Amino acid sequence: MTNALYIGIGPIIAVTLGVVVLLMVEVTLHPATRVWRLISFGSLISGFILAIVQWADAANNPQPIFSHMLMHDGFSAFGSIVLIIVAALGLLVAWPLVENDRARGAELVALVLLTTIGLMLLVSAANLMMVFLGLEVASISLYVIAGFIRKGARSNEAAVKYFLLGSFASAVFLYGVALVYAGTGTLEITAIAGPQFAGLTQTPVLLVGIGLIVVGLGFKVSAAPFHMWAPDVYQGSASGVTGFMNAGAKIAGFAALARILVVSFDAQRGDWGPALAVVAALSMVVGTVLAITQTDLKRMLAYSSVAHAGFIMTALVGGGAGIDALWFYVVTYAFQVVGAFGVVAAISGVASDESALKQYVGLGRRSPFLAGVLSLMMLAMAGIPLTAGFAGKFGVFRAALEAGYTWLVVLALVASAVGLYFYLRVIVRVYIDQETAEQPRVVITDGMRFALTTVAVLTVAFGVNPAPLLTVVSNALPF
Amino acid sequence: MVRRPILRNLELGAATAIFVYCHAADGPNQEHCFRVTEYFQDYITVFAYLAFGVILALLLLSVASLIRPSRPTPAKAMSYESGIDPVGGGWSQTHIRYYVFALLFLIFDVEAVFIFPWAIRLEQLGWFGLWEMLVFIAILLLGLVYAIRKGVLKWE
Repeated sequence: MTNALYIGIGPIIAVTLGVVVLLMVEVTLHPATRVWRLISFGSLISGFILAIVQWADAANNPQPIFSHMLMHDGFSAFGSIVLIIVAALGLLVAWPLVENDRARGAELVALVLLTTIGLMLLVSAANLMMVFLGLEVASISLYVIAGFIRKGARSNEAAVKYFLLGSFASAVFLYGVALVYAGTGTLEITAIAGPQFAGLTQTPVLLVGIGLIVVGLGFKVSAAPFHMWAPDVYQGSASGVTGFMNAGAKIAGFAALARILVVSFDAQRGDWGPALAVVAALSMVVGTVLAITQTDLKRMLAYSSVAHAGFIMTALVGGGAGIDALWFYVVTYAFQVVGAFGVVAAISGVASDESALKQYVGLGRRSPFLAGVLSLMMLAMAGIPLTAGFAGKFGVFRAALEAGYTWLVVLALVASAVGLYFYLRVIVRVYIDQETAEQPRVVITDGMRFALTTVAVLTVAFGVNPAPLLTVVSNALPF
Repeated sequence: MVRRPILRNLELGAATAIFVYCHAADGPNQEHCFRVTEYFQDYITVFAYLAFGVILALLLLSVASLIRPSRPTPAKAMSYESGIDPVGGGWSQTHIRYYVFALLFLIFDVEAVFIFPWAIRLEQLGWFGLWEMLVFIAILLLGLVYAIRKGVLKWE
C-alpha cells in the first residue's frame, strides 16, 4: 500500500543521519573540527553515491513512492545529485566560518545539511503537501543561516527580513495549494491533471491557485517583482554561505516549479505561460538595471541573480519541452554563483557582510588565481561563448523561441547585452585599474581553492563541450 | 466507515440539497454534479461534528446555570494556579528566558498532534507505521538531548 522504496529516499536518509550524528557527537564528545568535517562530508559523499544509485534505478523503474508522497524518477535523482554537490562546495567555501566559531560551528554545518534535505524533498515531492514541507524545511534553515553572525546588525536585519517575507510567501503558496485542492479535489501532482478531473480544469478557483503557487515559488527563487528581499538578505548573510543559499534555493525552487506546472497544469499552459513570461521579462529588466548601479559586489551579484531567475524562467514558458534547458541553465548557474560568492568570501572574509568593488582593484596582481576564477564566473554569467553560461542561455532562448515567445527572447538578448557592462566592469577593476592604496594580502584555504578550481573547471568544461551534461539532463525528466 | 445514524441522515440531507441545487443549475451535467456532491460530503461531516460540539457545550452550560446554586466568594473567583495563591495580575511580565521552555514544550505538544491521527490509522499502517513513528519520536528526543547538553535548560 505504502510502496516504501528506500532507494528513492537514500540520499535524504544519508544526509539526515549526517545531521543527527554530527549534532549528537558534538554535544557528547566535543570533538575537534576535523571530526565535523569527517561526518558532514562523509554523509554528503554517501548521499551522492546513493543519489547515483537512485538515478540508475529510476531510469528503468520510475514510480511514485511512499503513498504517492515522493517521486522516484530521474528528475528527483538528478536534483539530489546537483544539490549534494552544491552543498559540498558551499561547505568547503564556508569552512573557515565554521572553524572560527568553535561553539556554534557545528550548528552551521547541520543547518546547511538540513537545507539540503529540505531542497531534496522539494525536488522529489509528488504531492503539493510534500512540496510545502520541503519548502519549509529548507526555508527555516535558511532564515537561521542568514542570521548566523549574531553580532552583526546587517545579519540580523537579513534574518528578520527573510523570515517575515519568506513566511508570507509560504502562506501565499499554501493558499494556492488549498485553492488547487478546492478546484480539483486532490493534492497529488500527477493526479491533478488526471482524467477524473477533466471537467474542472478551467474553474477560476484553480487558476487563482496556480497563480498563487507561482507567486510563492517565485519569491523563493527571487524572481521580480518578488525579489525585494534578495539584495538585503544576500548582503547581510555571511559571505561564506551566501553562494550556497542562493544556488540551493534556485535549483530546488525552479525544479519544483517545473514539476508542478508541467506535470499538474499542462492543460492550463495557455493561462500560466504568458504570466510566467511577464515575470521572466520583469526579472531580467529589474535585475539587470539595478545591478548596474551597485558599488558592492555582493549586492551586484544579488541583483544579477534576480536577472538570472528571469533567464531560467524563460525556459519554462513553453512547458515540458524546456525542462532540459532549465536544468542545464540552473545547474551551471549554481556553480557560477558558488564560485563568485566563494571569491567574495576569500577577498572580504567569510563572515563579512560588505564587499565593496574597490576592494577588488588590482586583484590580478595580488592573487592571480582568485582574479582568474572571478573573471571566469563573470564571463560565464554574462553568457560569453566557451563558458557554460553561453550554452545555458542558448538552450533557454531556443526553448522560448520554439514556444513562440519571440518578444521575450529579444528582451532577454538586450538584457544580456546590458548585463555585459556590469560583469565586465568587475574584470576591469580586477585587471586594469591601478591600486591607490596598499590592499591586504589574500590568503585562502585549501578547501576553498579546491571548491573554486572545481567550479572553474566545470564552467569551462560544460561551456566547451555541453553535450555530456545535455545528455544527462535530457533524461532528468519528471515521471 | 460506520457513521452514527443522526450524522448520516444530516449528511444525506445536505448532500441531497446540494445535488438538487446542482441539478437545477447545470441541467444535464449530472456526473460533474455527483463529483461535487461527493467532494462536499467530507466537509459536511466536519460541519456536523462542529455543530454538535457547539450545541452540546451550550446545552450543558445553560442547564447547569439554571439548576446550580450561585454563591460567589472572592476565594472562588481567584484564578487557579495549581493550589498556590496567584501572584500579580494575568498581564504581568514574564522573563524572556522562559521562551526556551515554551519552545521545547511546544515541540512535544505538536508531536502529540501528529500522534493522534496516526494512532487512529495504526492498524492499517501496521509495523511500517510503528517504526516510522518510533523514528520520528527518536529524532525529536535527540533534539531534546541536544538542547539539554547545550545547556539551554540551565538557569544561570
